[in-house]
Amino acid sequence: MEVDSENGLLQRKQATYQSLDETFLIAKETYKGQQYSQIYFARLHLMRTMLYSLLPTWKPHLPSCTVLGLEQGKECVIVGTLYKHMKLKPSVLDEYSKERSASPLVQPCNFLHSDDYLVLEDESGRVKLRGALLLPSIYVTGIVVALHGKETGAGDFEVEDLLEAGLPHQIDRPLNSGEDKFVVFVSGLSVGSTSANPLHFQLFVDHITGHLGDEKEQGMAAQIVQVVIAGNSVEIGRGLLNGQNLGSKDQSKLSEPIKELDILMSQIAAGIPVDIMPGEADPANFALPQQPLHRCLFPGSAAFNTFRSCTNPHSFELDDVRFLGTSGQNIDDLAKYSDATCKLEFLERTLRWRHIAPTAPNTLGCYPFTDRDPFFIEMCPHVYFVGNQEKFDTSVIKGSDGQVVRLVCIPKFAETGTAVMLNLRNLECHALTFGSQFDS
Amino acid sequence: MASTGVKGFFREKKKGKPGATKKSNKSASCGSDVVQPPALISHATLDLQEEYDEKEEVLRQFDMNMAYGPCIGISRLERWERANKFGLNPPAQVEIC
Repeated sequence: MEVDSENGLLQRKQATYQSLDETFLIAKETYKGQQYSQIYFARLHLMRTMLYSLLPTWKPHLPSCTVLGLEQGKECVIVGTLYKHMKLKPSVLDEYSKERSASPLVQPCNFLHSDDYLVLEDESGRVKLRGALLLPSIYVTGIVVALHGKETGAGDFEVEDLLEAGLPHQIDRPLNSGEDKFVVFVSGLSVGSTSANPLHFQLFVDHITGHLGDEKEQGMAAQIVQVVIAGNSVEIGRGLLNGQNLGSKDQSKLSEPIKELDILMSQIAAGIPVDIMPGEADPANFALPQQPLHRCLFPGSAAFNTFRSCTNPHSFELDDVRFLGTSGQNIDDLAKYSDATCKLEFLERTLRWRHIAPTAPNTLGCYPFTDRDPFFIEMCPHVYFVGNQEKFDTSVIKGSDGQVVRLVCIPKFAETGTAVMLNLRNLECHALTFGSQFDS
Repeated sequence: MASTGVKGFFREKKKGKPGATKKSNKSASCGSDVVQPPALISHATLDLQEEYDEKEEVLRQFDMNMAYGPCIGISRLERWERANKFGLNPPAQVEIC
């Protein structure tokens, strides 16, 4: 890093970037009327083949069989997709049911019930699962697992042991290069919303581009090599989107947030490589994997080659450190249909199940792939992030094969004014908070 | 005797009845992946040989086999190519037909 103290010229550090988003692009897919059974079959086949390869080390003495091949009392291993039957899960048929019981007007955020039970399913059939080991509150529909147990007299399967896919193989991170290089994560900018303070975002942009502070602070900003914006960058007033034709005044209201975002993005892109991912509130498609935001939305920023519009989920490599993350829809959906002490636990579970979004397409919108499941995690990332969470949280998890993953929950910037900085050298994380209240 | 008109009607029905969705269909295939499902018999006559030739029989067996996944909503060629990609060794005859 050059520091010329005579005229204060600082060079920003750089890192080699490689995008791994190709698997999430759906430009080559064609919709021919296929149903979601195809993606479930692809997922089951992919994960079952992998689980079968793990069986000899787990329970070598037990035979494996399909659900229909179960015999009563015989111990065996079955592999299939879990389905969780949930009593409170909202069903579109409820709208049509004649009897309106005293149901609460406000929908619960979490649909867990003590009566939920799990079912294992493969191509041949399904079987209800019993056992103290299997807590329905932890699991969700769509995970593929291997179960050891036997069929009971009642036709259920009594589970004695369970095998998840576990963390996939990880390529070793390059050893400490000695230099501190930082990646900044931010999400939930919600430009255009009434509650977001535009000063905070401007402060953030000024800080990371090095327009703020003295030499020391600029030196810190010069170590930032990449910015990742993880979804929900704009917020368009819901009142405008009620399906009615918009007058010209309203039409400009619709495009103002994006224009404002473009101005700020071009300030960032002028200095640092920036990746922008679509989120739930952004003008992108609804179903996962969300496609990159269109270049025409960013006439100013797209002119820079540092500006990259990415998919959600987003996967990339920076200096051989592998990143994988989403804008939050997968974790938020898990929070609705399962239970955990914190969001990091959901993140860890998705890694151990080797699937970014197991609830897709059951409760999470998903493109009906026929021959692949792009949410299957093939290589273990070094950094696994999720955007649009309530607060900043981070931890490190270890796998059985020596994998080490840094989990990061990125908070909503519009609510907390907090972004996350991650050091590429040692994968340590800290929060970067901006405030504009001066309480005396 | 029910003339060709009725036979024609029944033939349409047979071809259009897939039955093999992912949700359990206990009668379709039992246990092992490679077992071919039993031939459909309608009207207690093996009139399959009259309408179907060998090629169509092979194709139908490929459609019904659960090991290659659901057959609804996906073209036969695509399903074959997917089975090939997954390493399930679908019969090469099907690709030719």
